[in-house]
Amino acid sequence: MNNNRKIIRVLVVVSALFLMLLTYLLYFNMFEAKSVATNPYNRRQWDDEKYVTRGTIYDNDGVVLAETVGDGETIKREYPYGRLYSHVIGYCSQVYGKSLLEREFDSDLLGKGDIDIFQGNKKKGFDLNLTIKNSLQKYAYEQLRGKKGAIVALEPQSGKILAMVSLPDFEPSADNLEKNWNDIVEDESAPLVARAFSGLYPPGSTYKIVTAAAAFENGFLGQTFEDTGAFEKGDLKVENFGNKKYGEISFERGFEVSSNQIFCTVGFELGSEKVLEIAERFGVGKNIDFDIDASSSRIEYKKMTDEDAALVSIGQGQLLVSPLHMAMICGGIANDGVMMTPYVVDSVTKNEAVISKTRPKTFAQPIDKGCADYIKELMVNTVKSGTGSRASIWGIDVAGKTGTAENETEKDHAWFVGFAPADAPQIAVAVVIENSGKSGGDVAAPIAGNIIRKYLGK
Amino acid sequence: MKRANYRLPAYLLVIMNVLGFLLVFMANDYQLNVLYVGLGMMCLFLLIYSILVICRMGDKFLVLIASMLMTIGVLMLCRLNIVTGARQIVWIGIGGIVFFATYTIYYNIRFWHKLWFLYAALGVALFVITLVFGKTVNGSKNWIDIGPIAFQPSEITKILYVMFLSCHYSKSWEKPFLRVSPMYMTGFVTYTYILFLMLQRDWGTILVIFSIFIFMIYIYEEKKWFLWANVGAATVVALIGYEFLYHIQVRVGVWLDPWADVSNKGYQIAQSLFAIASGGYFGRGLGNGSPHYIPEVHTDFIFSAICEEMGVFGGAAVIILFFLLFYRCFKVTLNAENEYNKAVGAGLTLMFALQTFIIIGGVTKFIPLTGITLPFVSYGGTSIVVSFASLGIIQAISAIEDRKGAEALEQ
Repeated sequence: MNNNRKIIRVLVVVSALFLMLLTYLLYFNMFEAKSVATNPYNRRQWDDEKYVTRGTIYDNDGVVLAETVGDGETIKREYPYGRLYSHVIGYCSQVYGKSLLEREFDSDLLGKGDIDIFQGNKKKGFDLNLTIKNSLQKYAYEQLRGKKGAIVALEPQSGKILAMVSLPDFEPSADNLEKNWNDIVEDESAPLVARAFSGLYPPGSTYKIVTAAAAFENGFLGQTFEDTGAFEKGDLKVENFGNKKYGEISFERGFEVSSNQIFCTVGFELGSEKVLEIAERFGVGKNIDFDIDASSSRIEYKKMTDEDAALVSIGQGQLLVSPLHMAMICGGIANDGVMMTPYVVDSVTKNEAVISKTRPKTFAQPIDKGCADYIKELMVNTVKSGTGSRASIWGIDVAGKTGTAENETEKDHAWFVGFAPADAPQIAVAVVIENSGKSGGDVAAPIAGNIIRKYLGK
Repeated sequence: MKRANYRLPAYLLVIMNVLGFLLVFMANDYQLNVLYVGLGMMCLFLLIYSILVICRMGDKFLVLIASMLMTIGVLMLCRLNIVTGARQIVWIGIGGIVFFATYTIYYNIRFWHKLWFLYAALGVALFVITLVFGKTVNGSKNWIDIGPIAFQPSEITKILYVMFLSCHYSKSWEKPFLRVSPMYMTGFVTYTYILFLMLQRDWGTILVIFSIFIFMIYIYEEKKWFLWANVGAATVVALIGYEFLYHIQVRVGVWLDPWADVSNKGYQIAQSLFAIASGGYFGRGLGNGSPHYIPEVHTDFIFSAICEEMGVFGGAAVIILFFLLFYRCFKVTLNAENEYNKAVGAGLTLMFALQTFIIIGGVTKFIPLTGITLPFVSYGGTSIVVSFASLGIIQAISAIEDRKGAEALEQ
């Protein structure tokens, strides 16, 4: 009966093989199936389109942004606004597949799970209703035209995206893609990258908002500093923007004029641990559960020293954030310290009947209301009498912060983040202009100001 | 034992058949043919099962589990093409006859363990016939035509091979042949078979035969070094094969990254993965998928079609059914007192298990793909008939044990 023991061992091995097969099958379905099924070579994706007319995409006011027209062999996906939504809606090509909303909401657009019985005629997929306002989107696009960069405008209380522009962009029609694909892919300015949520930039001084929160909690309020124009520690030397010297000023004034020396000092004294901790609370390194895959902001140090902390505190060093995340941080200050998860699809409908509606979700609550109010005041003063004055609007308190971020090129990125009205915020905006070579206060602040003015109808 | 034990699982089978074929009936534009096929199959299963129970032919579950697997297979085949489904029923009918024939012959003849030379020679003869008269299908020259029927001799060879090995491992063959001891003879015959199979480019069967060999050595061979020598030899041969055979390089390359060349080399596996991925957990529904995009969907890739339309859970159910089948087979093997029967049982069980693992693992990209049929599920006369024959042998082994048990009780 010795053989029986060995046969049982073989049984165990065979069982293990089958268990592995089962596990693998489930694993495949959980983690790999989605990207495999949406591979452009999978013809099934286009089978459905034979029986289903792809749903329409509307803006917040019912303006058509994407629709499928034609019949039989001549079906075409049309984008009436062309490039305007290339980095929100994406494209839908039989050859190159689908991207962004066309991809993420593919099954909704194809009406999957629709229990309507249909015979003969084509079924209609579900429609998407976006939170974006077409008029604001167009306006923001005009503001950034000809530059590289991104604009994200959102509603602080809900996380609704009001406008989201990334430039450079591309003409998303399938015809154009199929004709010019190689040119688009090989273009050095990377027009296929949706900078607003996939682009990562050093945030520069806009990040002082986050540092100010840590300063508030660690008793730097009201302290005065001797600003000599540069922060020096060992080999590290950080000068103020434009080599300005402010003399003896308060921490608050340091925020308004964006003194690098003061913020480096604060960051250094807080130390790497606290600087990392506040960054994490604001969502650096955290996955943003956006409707479209968004890059997470990050701080990349093997081992972070206090000197590194000084650099991160002014938004330099190994810190990279996305414009979307910066708008969320700004929205968090506007919303009493509660950051909302952004979303762009407000509801999925069929013939105006709601199939599903997005509910606002909290992303993080990094600070309390007291701290948020304090930073808000600093930001209001920044626009009133500091570096952000070019974002000011007659009759409204705008809160904001500028940034001019050094990067691996010669030319700095210009940043502005802000919201308004300060006492009852309705819109938060982040603007970044890639390699503009000018300061955020000069080029980014006016754009943000214009967008806010347009939205508030002033 | 209570009678209900035999009836309940049979009801389950009936319910599954009725529901399944009604679904296919609806999906196939209400063609009555589907219902005839379904009815025919159900009657066939019930007939086989009744004979088993009434004549007390040993284990009752083997056939039931196999019937469930065949039901899933025929459902899928009818959905793909009703003519294929109907043909499969005919094969299942023939398979049933072969099942009882094998059972009766195996049960009544008691000198199987003496015929090692016959098995080996028959195997070689089949190979030679295939090489001379064979035709090439999908790059493998492993089919021969006899009148209107095409069949794959290598399927039959697998059973002969197991019976051959068992002669030695049951210690009924210990005399050297031409001064070569039986242990070396098993190695010699195995590698001869593998050489023939390589000439036919039937990599799947090579894998099955060699794995059976390794497991059988592990169970029975007293000289441990023989196991390691064979594993080592296999590794060396595999490495050399990978180095020099373009065929094998392509297969491994495609396994590592099927997406590099989706439209050519990776086409088969990519289509299979598309199908599985599109099915999700619960499938797209019988008749709602596009399994026709999968090449060889009737035979080697039927599992992918099942996953697409019945979902990953459907696929998991098939795997679990197979697992139950092996479990029952292993049980029969463990209970067998006759050493020869035990060895044959172990070998045939391993044959089922490994073949299932290799093809399901292959189409899901768990292991490199080598084309073989999924026992009882894939379309194919030889596959069905040979699976039934193997099951018949295992059934006979279980009946022999039952008979002994009954005799012991009487005394």
